[in-house]
Amino acid sequence: MSVTTERPAASSAPAGRPDNGPVAWITTTDHKKIGVLYCVTAFAFFLIGGALAGAMRAELADTGSQLVGPQSYNTLFTVHGIIMIFLFVAPFGIGLANYLIPLQIGAPDMAFPRLNAMSYWFFAGGGLLVLLSSFATDAGGVATGWYLYPPLSGPRYSPGVGPDLLILGLALVAISTLMSGVNVITTTFLMRAPGMTMWRLPVFTWNAVVTAVLGLVAFPPAVAAFVLLLFDRRLGGQAFDPAGGGDPIVYQHLFWFLGHPEVYILILPFFGVITEIIPVFSRKPLFGYTGFLLATLTIGALSTGVWAHHMFTTGVVDNPFFSAMTFMIAVPTGVKFFNWIGTMWGGKISFRVPMLFSIGFLLNFLIGGVTGVMLASAPLDFQLADSYFLVSHFHYTMMGGSVFGIFAAIYFWWPKAFGFRLSERLGRGVFSLMFVGFNLTFWPQFVVGLRGMPRRIVDYAPGLGWDTPNLVSSLGVVVLSAGVLLFLVDVSTSRRRRTPAGDDPWGGYSLEWATSSPPPEHNFSSLPRIRSERPAFDTHHPELAIGPVTAPPPEPT
Amino acid sequence: MRFALRYLWAYSAFGLGLGTVYYALTQEWVGSIALWFLGLMPAIVALWWARHGPSPAVREADDPEADPAASAGASLGSFPMATAWPALLVAGVIVIGASLVYGLILLPVGAAMLVWAVVGLARESRG
Ligand code: HEM
Repeated sequence: MSVTTERPAASSAPAGRPDNGPVAWITTTDHKKIGVLYCVTAFAFFLIGGALAGAMRAELADTGSQLVGPQSYNTLFTVHGIIMIFLFVAPFGIGLANYLIPLQIGAPDMAFPRLNAMSYWFFAGGGLLVLLSSFATDAGGVATGWYLYPPLSGPRYSPGVGPDLLILGLALVAISTLMSGVNVITTTFLMRAPGMTMWRLPVFTWNAVVTAVLGLVAFPPAVAAFVLLLFDRRLGGQAFDPAGGGDPIVYQHLFWFLGHPEVYILILPFFGVITEIIPVFSRKPLFGYTGFLLATLTIGALSTGVWAHHMFTTGVVDNPFFSAMTFMIAVPTGVKFFNWIGTMWGGKISFRVPMLFSIGFLLNFLIGGVTGVMLASAPLDFQLADSYFLVSHFHYTMMGGSVFGIFAAIYFWWPKAFGFRLSERLGRGVFSLMFVGFNLTFWPQFVVGLRGMPRRIVDYAPGLGWDTPNLVSSLGVVVLSAGVLLFLVDVSTSRRRRTPAGDDPWGGYSLEWATSSPPPEHNFSSLPRIRSERPAFDTHHPELAIGPVTAPPPEPT
Repeated sequence: MRFALRYLWAYSAFGLGLGTVYYALTQEWVGSIALWFLGLMPAIVALWWARHGPSPAVREADDPEADPAASAGASLGSFPMATAWPALLVAGVIVIGASLVYGLILLPVGAAMLVWAVVGLARESRG
């Protein structure tokens, strides 16, 4: 069944009671429900990936073998890495894009709703196969590290079906990303409301578009690499086997042509999130909107030219070229810090929970970024590659950055999506525990990294100066986990309490704050006039708006 | 829509240019080809777009002075309300994947689900 939708005039009938049974969710094509499905599924994967991380940190808390053996440890970090990257952070960004883009641009849905549903199910199915590959195979889980390098992932060293299922699962996730990329770009370019020019688009939407472009560019080479690997494993192919004239370095090139843009796929949506939040809680417009967008576009382009900085130590790539490109990409990222600081500067900052998480993001990501610039220097990288310094660096960007962005987004848009608030008091507790726990976990890892502790080891000898930092790091996970648990408590108590949020609880700027909470089916019963990047703010504060914001009533027909 | 076109051309020039510089410096084929494709793909879309031009709805969105009332009532197309086929299609793929672990007996079941879903989806899309 389908409905034909028209652009709303001044007002229309109130939305009917939404159908919320399981069948409605499974068969839905509504972008809001699909967005929620994406986010909830991704968050469930976060809990699984987090539990695996907890197991690893428990093992590493002390010297000697506590919990798992070497092979299981290898499986733990492989599955943890894959889950966190491909099944949690990236899909959460896609979920937010699904939920928000039509609302932010004034459209009734995504351009291709059925394709949208398909992309969710491909993601969920791919995720299931990844889990199956890890836990349900006789030969044990995949233990190759998240980048599945041959020859370790080849038929000789990983003979079970685990890697095959994993490749199939990742291929499904990749197809899902391509489908949602097409949808995001088409929706944003073609379905904007009248007056919503490209230079008035909310920053989150812009970042989601650049992320979608990166997905379209980066995933196909990796899928090609996975398929070739499958041929090598099952059909006697030798694409990556030097004995048959193949070359494992080709795999590394193809993989990192995905892998590096992927880290921007993991961070750009959350740059967008905090850039929506910081101006609202500073009561100022974003400082340097155009500069910010140009920086995003530049990052989108440059990120496709830095892949082989992950291959410095192979000795077969042009290190100066990739080093220079990597230094360059730090510049537009630095520009964004000016935007964020400039926005807060002289603003009337209110430290509500979404703002706290955004500030946490800035502090953590700054440390991740600065250590990234250190690693971009090839001589230093030779020293620090494959050490805990690197592990800490990427967790500062992905956990301290993206995951704090995710929590900021959850606290900010929750009232819009569900019509009731999360608790401010518990939210502050969640932030404090997570911020302290995160830094306790990962700061000591810089220290052990500089003291020479390599990554991917299940045990270490005493007396190397590694014991205390490792213990502190593992205790940090306890604090971090308490923060996540408190968040789950907050969700369940707030669901019971259901304190109504109102349509615009924060005094938001972008268009989603101009419709009801939760929004009706097809999103708007009336659209305001769009005359700036802050249409909802203009509507609620016409005295401060640029030009008239209330649309004249439609002509009677 | 001039902006989208410019974006596509700029991206294309970036890919082709960087690919060429990279090839000149390294003579390494995998990265060079990937970068040249990065340049080619947006060029194809941009060429198509330049020939066909934007729709009226897009022109309205790009008009900074446009009123929502101006396009009130304009059709935005047809939106499907619900569909079970995507979920079934992926369930089929999972059963096929699971057959690698739990026995090939599951393979025809998965394949049947997949075919059923593809046919259903195609028929639903037609109308
Ligand atoms: C919940 C907090 C987290 C903790 C406590 C944690 C802990 C760990 C640990 C102990 C390792 C293994 C290090 C080694 O032996 O080399 C690891 C690896 C890794 N983590 Fe996390 N992690 C967390 C969150 C995340 C997040 C949010 C992401 C990504 C978005 C992530 C991505 C990775 C990756 C890619 C690896 C490398 C896997 C490999 O070596 O193949 N982690 N993490």
